[in-house]
Amino acid sequence: MSLREPAWRVTARELEASLEEEKGTGDRATTYLLSPFGARMSRVLLSGTLSPAEPIGRDENQPFWRSRLADPTGSIAVTAGSFQPRAMAQLRAVTTPGPALVVGKTHLYRGRDGVAYVSVRAEAVRAVAEADERSILAEIARQTLDRLDLVERVERGPTVSDEELRRDGVPAGWVRAARASLARYPQVDRPAFRRELAGVIRAVAGGAAAPPSAVPPQVRVTRSPPPPPPPAPPTVAERAEESLFLDLLDEVADGSVDGYADWKELVERTSARGLVAERAEAVLNRLEEEGVVEEPIVGKLRRS
Amino acid sequence: MSSSDAAPTLPEVRLRDLRPAVSPVEVVARIVTADRREVTRRSDGSRRPLVSGLLSDGTATVRFTWWDPPREGLDRGAVLRAVGAEVREFRGRSELVFTWKTRIGPASGAELPAVDGDDVPQRPVRDLRAGDEGFRLEVRVVRVASRSVSVGEERRVVYDGLLADRSGPIAFSAWSDFRLGVGEAVRLAGGYVRTFRGRPQLVLDERTVVTRIDGAELPDPAELLRSPPRSIAEVEDEGGGVALAVEGIVVGLLPPSGLVYRCPTCGRSVTSGICRVHGQVEGQPDLRARLVLDDGTGAVTVNVARAETERLWGITLEEARARLRDLPDPSLLEEQLFESVFGRRLRVRGSGTKDDFGVTVFPESVERVDLDLDATADDLTARLGPGA
Ligand SMILES: [Zn+2]
Repeated sequence: MSLREPAWRVTARELEASLEEEKGTGDRATTYLLSPFGARMSRVLLSGTLSPAEPIGRDENQPFWRSRLADPTGSIAVTAGSFQPRAMAQLRAVTTPGPALVVGKTHLYRGRDGVAYVSVRAEAVRAVAEADERSILAEIARQTLDRLDLVERVERGPTVSDEELRRDGVPAGWVRAARASLARYPQVDRPAFRRELAGVIRAVAGGAAAPPSAVPPQVRVTRSPPPPPPPAPPTVAERAEESLFLDLLDEVADGSVDGYADWKELVERTSARGLVAERAEAVLNRLEEEGVVEEPIVGKLRRS
Repeated sequence: MSSSDAAPTLPEVRLRDLRPAVSPVEVVARIVTADRREVTRRSDGSRRPLVSGLLSDGTATVRFTWWDPPREGLDRGAVLRAVGAEVREFRGRSELVFTWKTRIGPASGAELPAVDGDDVPQRPVRDLRAGDEGFRLEVRVVRVASRSVSVGEERRVVYDGLLADRSGPIAFSAWSDFRLGVGEAVRLAGGYVRTFRGRPQLVLDERTVVTRIDGAELPDPAELLRSPPRSIAEVEDEGGGVALAVEGIVVGLLPPSGLVYRCPTCGRSVTSGICRVHGQVEGQPDLRARLVLDDGTGAVTVNVARAETERLWGITLEEARARLRDLPDPSLLEEQLFESVFGRRLRVRGSGTKDDFGVTVFPESVERVDLDLDATADDLTARLGPGA
């Protein structure tokens, strides 16, 4: 059984500093983005100032939008494509920079020069009142401090057992994340990162909230390289496969009690129509990557 | 039982005392489970009906096999008197077999052997599992309410609620009025545990013995109902629970949410006018919200019913229906609901059950929580330490 991935409360700075990935276990496992500060995430919750979205990509039939979410620690790209109509509409609805919440999937792109670039594929976006933004920032700061405390505790006493941490109420997922952070980022300056949270806490208190959002994203100095060029548009054959796949997915989902399409049943149907399991999986990976289809539970699919 | 006929009087035994050496016997027991199937005879290939399952009389639970059973009347919870039941042993456990020689008739719960609390071991609530019986509990009544249900033709009053000891709470359902009052400490003997919505539920029936006790060490009911929220990861690990409290942020809305249509007979939601069980029906409009509540450690689905959905959304069922008439696309209505709940911090109390999709919470209350931002900022600053 696989449960829905929780939304890790993180700052833009923590996402910018996350350069490592880890594949989960089981067939068709989730890929997690590992941060140096104790997060092992596939879904995140962010809060900050969202800039108006800009269209990117050349294919007019497949619009893809990107904006930046800036919090007191940094900024991160938030994207949505035509296959996530809800999130795309919400992203496009932002016409002036303002406080917003974003829930989405993390995405790590490693360019040819080896530089990693993190973005968030939006699942839901909402412009909010400033008090709501501050409230979510408070939660982000609190949980980030909780995770840093945990990572430091494990670093000081690596022999502390998982059972002992669990008895203290630390969730198993957090213990795993803390150990992975220490293993994958042995040299990171965590105290410096902790000090950077001061800006978030000032924003919670209502002081000098977000960074200057008037600065256009193109000239904002961040440690991130420019975003990757959009992938080449799919071929006609690939489009046809996707369309068959989605038709069958809808069919299976419509007939199911829970509204999800069962992966095994779906593959049986695609195979019967000439899209063999291997190809179906490739199509699924592409559609998941594009955010068209999601799999909140392993083996259970639905449209995003 | 009549003993006027020539047959020798059979010993009436408790299930706990069944021995193959003493067979046949007379027993009074309740059906805990019953599965009907057919067995193909090797000799001539004909098929012979069979019911097998579990029987309980409060002292033990044993397997039974009933060849050529009646077509009806073998419902869970029914009490039977069986005269001339054979006792067999299988893997060191006694079982009952009802044959053509066994006379079986309905009995009342009052005919079940009385269970004396001193005969059975005391158990902590937390250790109870479905199928358990033959134990006693010392618990506090946390909550109790009566409701009227129809059982066949007749109406009966059932008392539902929550009991707890220091090890935890358990839901209960009583088919007799034990005049349980909130806050009372009681000792219970003769109940049994079944599964209800995926969680253990204690069933108290006619032969349950209830004794008032001092119970100074038992938890205060108010304290239990005000218990602080627990991490969702922990709730997931434990597979749900009763008297749960969780707090998190709404990060998603699962279908079907918003305006739904329900079958007037069974309440299931209907799609294109078809109920999965009752076929073509006139769907009754209703509001619901299946919220994904996430606290950063895990996520639960909260099944919010109409009244709470109206409160969270800020519009009534009638207003939602009026809006639907003006919207080109009904899914926009669900969008509007999502828009109004996304990002909200909620504290939810209720019971939770777990399946392959995770934990679903059936809320008894849904409250909006607003943080005191200044106080929170002070706490966070203190945690950051000097020099930051
Ligand atoms: Zn129905």
